[in-house]
Amino acid sequence: MRRGRSIEFADYRTYTPGDDPRRVDWNIYARLEKPFIKLYEDEQDLTVHILLDASPSMRWRDETAGGADFARSAGASGKWTRAAQLAIAIGHIALTSGDRLLVELSTRERFGPKRGANATAELIAFIETRSVEMDLRESRIEPSLLAPAISLNAWWKRYALDARPGICVIISDLLDAEGCAEGLNALGASRLDTRLLHTLCPAELEPEFAGDVRLKDIETTATQDVSLDDATLRQYRDRLRAWTADLRDLCRKRGARYHLTNTATPIEQIMLRDLRREGWLV
Amino acid sequence: MNVLNAPALLFALLAIPIVLLYLLRLRRREQTVSSTLLWRQVLLDREANTLWQRLRRNLLLLLQLITLALLVFALSRPYVDAPGGVSGRHIVLLDASASMQATDTPPSRFEVARARARDMIAQLGPGDTMSIILVDRAPRALTAATDNKAELLNALDAAQPSLHAANWSAAIALAQATAGSESPLITVISDGAGAASSPGPASGLPASPLSLLGDTARFVPIGASSDNLAITNLSLRRTLQGLAALVRVENLGDQPREALVSLRVDGALADARTLLLPAGQSVAWTVSGLDLRASSVQATLQADAGNALAIDDTAYAVNTARNIRRALLLSRGNLFLEQALVALPELEVTRAVTPPMLPDAGLLLAAGGNFGFDLFILDGLTMTLPPEANVLYIGAAAPFTVTGEFSNTAYVRAEAHPVMDAVDWRPVNLLNATLFDAPAWLKPLVQTQGGPALYAGQPIGLPDGGRVVAIPFDLRRSDLPLQIAFPVLIANAVEWLAPAQGAGIPASVRPGEAVALPPNSRVQLPDGSVVTVGERGFADTDQPGIYQALVSGARAPVRAPARSDFAVNFINRSESNIAPNLQALAGRTELAPAAATDTATSQREIWPWLAALALVVLLAEWWIYQRGLPAFNPRRNT
Repeated sequence: MRRGRSIEFADYRTYTPGDDPRRVDWNIYARLEKPFIKLYEDEQDLTVHILLDASPSMRWRDETAGGADFARSAGASGKWTRAAQLAIAIGHIALTSGDRLLVELSTRERFGPKRGANATAELIAFIETRSVEMDLRESRIEPSLLAPAISLNAWWKRYALDARPGICVIISDLLDAEGCAEGLNALGASRLDTRLLHTLCPAELEPEFAGDVRLKDIETTATQDVSLDDATLRQYRDRLRAWTADLRDLCRKRGARYHLTNTATPIEQIMLRDLRREGWLV
Repeated sequence: MNVLNAPALLFALLAIPIVLLYLLRLRRREQTVSSTLLWRQVLLDREANTLWQRLRRNLLLLLQLITLALLVFALSRPYVDAPGGVSGRHIVLLDASASMQATDTPPSRFEVARARARDMIAQLGPGDTMSIILVDRAPRALTAATDNKAELLNALDAAQPSLHAANWSAAIALAQATAGSESPLITVISDGAGAASSPGPASGLPASPLSLLGDTARFVPIGASSDNLAITNLSLRRTLQGLAALVRVENLGDQPREALVSLRVDGALADARTLLLPAGQSVAWTVSGLDLRASSVQATLQADAGNALAIDDTAYAVNTARNIRRALLLSRGNLFLEQALVALPELEVTRAVTPPMLPDAGLLLAAGGNFGFDLFILDGLTMTLPPEANVLYIGAAAPFTVTGEFSNTAYVRAEAHPVMDAVDWRPVNLLNATLFDAPAWLKPLVQTQGGPALYAGQPIGLPDGGRVVAIPFDLRRSDLPLQIAFPVLIANAVEWLAPAQGAGIPASVRPGEAVALPPNSRVQLPDGSVVTVGERGFADTDQPGIYQALVSGARAPVRAPARSDFAVNFINRSESNIAPNLQALAGRTELAPAAATDTATSQREIWPWLAALALVVLLAEWWIYQRGLPAFNPRRNT
């Protein structure tokens, strides 16, 4: 802990030549006739990094979700909406705490660093602007013609190069064939306290397709023929559970934290209950 | 195996749309997902199951095609040739003669034969027809040729063995008429007993009536034993010592037997004796000294063994000596007439000089009473009689107005009349005769030159009595009593005026024979029920036993309906001889197995099994399909 200038009193020490005479505690000097210098907690700037995945998979909406299923249609507002909400909410907390906030999308667009509660509005404007831009781009251009999404590893490694130490909140679905182990390593090496907010929507957690379908990957446009029956779906859920368990394990080994959110869960519940229970927020 | 409806196989072309539907179905629905990352991993996990998956898909197609194949095959109506079955047109001659009631093959020969017939019905394939002819005294077809098994079984269940011999000639004629121009397979189910005595063509019995059936007939012999004891005769005879009964018992088996024979007179046991019966012989037993007034006698045979047929163990006889007519002869004495009357059988004559006087005679007469007499003979004396009375007037007794006398009695002609039956009037000479003012209904029977010499007639409106025969001259003043014609005339007149009781009613008939009873007679059957006889006589004689008939009607005299009993007796030695007789049946003593069970084959259609199998396969297909699909998946809260 570096002692610095702040209002939080930390300790006293005897005056040595060269110290700023303004920091001498004159009350103590009057009583003891010895110069003491008051030491304060150093108000180190805490930087909060938010890495918001804006890959096509995060932008994907579950088109099959109908309006009849209310909970599901709420979740069908999409992973991106929820991810943006989470980013804004966490960013707002960081800003109101006086921390430096740095938000970077996977498209390398960056917000900040900013400080102060006033920046929340800017943050919202930033994310909304980018959302609208992406919506426009996607509505005009075939998804397959969009620039291929950057891999998580590459993005995080690059970000780790010039990142100031602090808290790094990653909001992503982590759907990357390469995985994210190297990226986590790099972030950890840059002394970033990494917190992985794994965002998945109900269609990914509990798919409800039926019959013979040809699944098309929105990012790679690769197709996969699947005959969906109970056994297959059961295996999918097993697979999903193993995958998230692996991720959780990986994070624990890298000193990172991991939390899985379902986009169908109300954001109030995530922010006020789940993340507090995880100890991410106080 | 062959098929009846080959064009139906064209339905197999339906397989083409099924396969096409499968090919179309393989075009998958495209579904965009955020990532196929996990799905790829899942499918990698499932790599081992892929074969099963592909197989399952193909399995469904395969099962559907199998179902289609089975259904198409069922539509084509395949059949297999089942050996030993019943096919085509079939005629079953089922012996229902009395010997089929024998119990040597339990429960009875007829039940065994019925079971055989039932088996044959069960073997009947679709399209095969059968008709069953029940062969008894009057063979009849139980059903027309039909393939309706239920109808055949119902008809078969309703059939009962009769008490008669089988009329095989009629049965074969009926079978041939049923067959028509076709040559159906004829099966004869019979024990052959009694077949030799079956009434055959006029030329006499052929060696085997059934040989007429030709090669298409096959024989199902029934029966195993000839052990039977039978009462073959029961007769009553009037003797000086009273009524005598003769019972003849025959052992038709091949083992000596013992039998207890009991004789009942009017239901009361009169005598019983154990008879030793050598094999194949008969023993007679005479019981004398029975009451002459007894109405009926029943002989019953009991044996512990060797008596397979029960129906011939009882015989009945009625005492015909009871049928006595009563006549009142009102005469001052006429030897000729009395002699002629005494000679008549079953006539009890009471002679009187004066009419019988009863305290309330006038009342009796007014009420139409007749003092219990069937017949009044007024020889020169007169008497007031009811109009219903049957009267023989002789001489001046007739109550008709006398118009004169005539002496020219030369014979002219005689009318045909029962009274004049076999009466030759030509040699008769009269001194003189009375001329009557005869009523119109009183017809002259003998015309002489002077006038009628004999009258007979019945008033119109009195169908049951009032018959009159009038002889308008004194017998002593003619030579009529010296002629042969006289007893004949008297007998005819008595018979016409008062017919003998039970005349025309035989004392014993065979079961099923008709008895010529007048209409409105009442008959009490052995089982106690009472039948009123209709216009066609009485034929309800299916139960052996004593039938008590109250005869009324035209033939009955004035008095109340007369009782006239008759017995219905099974006694039928040829049916009692229950020995299975293949010789008589088939003209052979041995039936070759091939002849007994023909090598006929039948076409068994198997489409019901195919359809059932198709249903099973369809269910399996549905189950596999259902098991392979996700059920409705309520979203879980995560």
